[in-house]
Amino acid sequence: MQLEIRNLAKLYDQKRGLTPTSFEVTKGELIAIVGHNGAGKSTLLKMLANWILPDGGTVMIDGINLKNRMAVVRKVGFIPEVPNLFDFFSVEYNLKLFAALSQTPFLRVEEILSEFNLLPFRKSKVQALSKGLKQRVSIGRALLADPPVLLLDEPTSGLDFEMTREIYRLMSAMHGAGKTILFTSHRPEEIKSLATRIMLLHEGSLVFDGSPQEYFQSEIHEKLYA
Amino acid sequence: MMMRNILVLAFNDLGIALKNKTFFLILFIPLFVFVSLNLVDRADSDSSKVKIGLIQHDAYAPEITRSVNAAEKLVEVTWVQDEKEGVRLLKEHKLDGVLSGNEKAPGSLALLVLKKDSLHTIAIVQNFSALQKAAEGSGPDWITGIKSLHQGGVQRETLPTWILMLVLLIGFIILPAQVAEEKEKKLLIALLQTPIHEVQWLIAKLILGMVLIITAVLFLHLLGKFGPVHLFDYIAFIVVGSYCFSAYGIFLGFLCRNQASARTLGVIFYLPHLLPSAMSDVSQKLTAVAPLLPSYQLYQPLQSILLEDGRMADMTFDWVYLFLLGSLMFYLSYLLMKRRWLM
Repeated sequence: MQLEIRNLAKLYDQKRGLTPTSFEVTKGELIAIVGHNGAGKSTLLKMLANWILPDGGTVMIDGINLKNRMAVVRKVGFIPEVPNLFDFFSVEYNLKLFAALSQTPFLRVEEILSEFNLLPFRKSKVQALSKGLKQRVSIGRALLADPPVLLLDEPTSGLDFEMTREIYRLMSAMHGAGKTILFTSHRPEEIKSLATRIMLLHEGSLVFDGSPQEYFQSEIHEKLYA
Repeated sequence: MMMRNILVLAFNDLGIALKNKTFFLILFIPLFVFVSLNLVDRADSDSSKVKIGLIQHDAYAPEITRSVNAAEKLVEVTWVQDEKEGVRLLKEHKLDGVLSGNEKAPGSLALLVLKKDSLHTIAIVQNFSALQKAAEGSGPDWITGIKSLHQGGVQRETLPTWILMLVLLIGFIILPAQVAEEKEKKLLIALLQTPIHEVQWLIAKLILGMVLIITAVLFLHLLGKFGPVHLFDYIAFIVVGSYCFSAYGIFLGFLCRNQASARTLGVIFYLPHLLPSAMSDVSQKLTAVAPLLPSYQLYQPLQSILLEDGRMADMTFDWVYLFLLGSLMFYLSYLLMKRRWLM
């Protein structure tokens, strides 16, 4: 197992957050975590990314406890819903900064710029980019250290149809390259052809975990998304 | 309709001000000014009375001691053992001046004051001139020499206050806002996605604060062509002061979720730390309160080094205090960062 999650929980108040949740992820899976707003999707991903600390439970990544941040930080790349880049610096600077901090050769920055079609924007300040481009920079940054696990929180939120397709294309390519990917979405119909597994969160609880075929035939999908 | 929209927007703006705690400033600043004004010595009937120290073993002319004792409404006399005790009481604002025999002009007096051009000095000279005229009618003035504890002109006398202002401005206004901005924009958490240790980020921020403070102080010295008497002692206090208040500022930044809150909290800490130290010279009450604040542990040594030929050996406690406080703030910031506090 690449990821082992046991009784992971975080409650902000009585209604919001994630109740104790357990599941496992094998290498190379592309998992869509779906659910309405406030279902606990982002909370789950943020805990897996070490952004927020859980109230309880354990997460093991390749056998290493997530609490050991320095040991697992190179294993997980997280792309938040709102790209958190240094807006007042260029695309190239942002990538080089994180490459330097991750002890990644700058050659990798060139590869990312090329791979993500960012070469024309390398000198552009991030604040001048569209949200779609920012999201591409954000994904590129997460891939700098080549982590085996990628977490994407609402990667297509606020993007137009073309840009959404571009992001999904990138995700497919990363999956094809052997990455394990978990991403959230509140639009299940969009990820029908993308995910290999779907997990449905409802009011902080995991209420479905199975293949896309099973999910789209299930009553719970009908009930929540009809 | 237009009026209604303006009102709705105005109420919305007030709501934002309430939410980001700007309103606290509106209440805090007048309250702070009120308390400070109450701590500044009031101009009551005793204010015309000058507090003079006379040295026990000095030989004063009999007409001087007689006149001084007779003029108890004008002069309050304290007998001190020696000049050292007089200087101490002077610094504590328990005396306005110390009178000793003037070696250069036997039979006359030398006056030792904190500042030559202060209102207290003028009052002492006026009162003694009046006493001399009443006792002798004419003749030379009793006070024939005035020495000041503070060396240099008015510009130099204000220097410790300006330096303290720079240190606190960067420590309490600039750094907390920057830390809060990195938290608010999730930049800090993004940096923690790389294999950097929390302490490395904190040290980098500390270096930023110290470099900003030292650059600002150096620039001020270059512009004003002010040179400290004891360079090593001075640098030691600027470095430890910048360390302490940078760490303090980073800690304040960690207490806030966003920049607006950090600015408000910064001002709330900035004013009390600045004013009592800067105003302690004009108030006995503030002199008693100021040492309770860490800013005074920086201000007082700076004042001593810059104006009174002070040496670090006499101010080791202040240096250690600033270092320990800075280290405590650094540690608290580390704990908050580890707990992802308001991140």
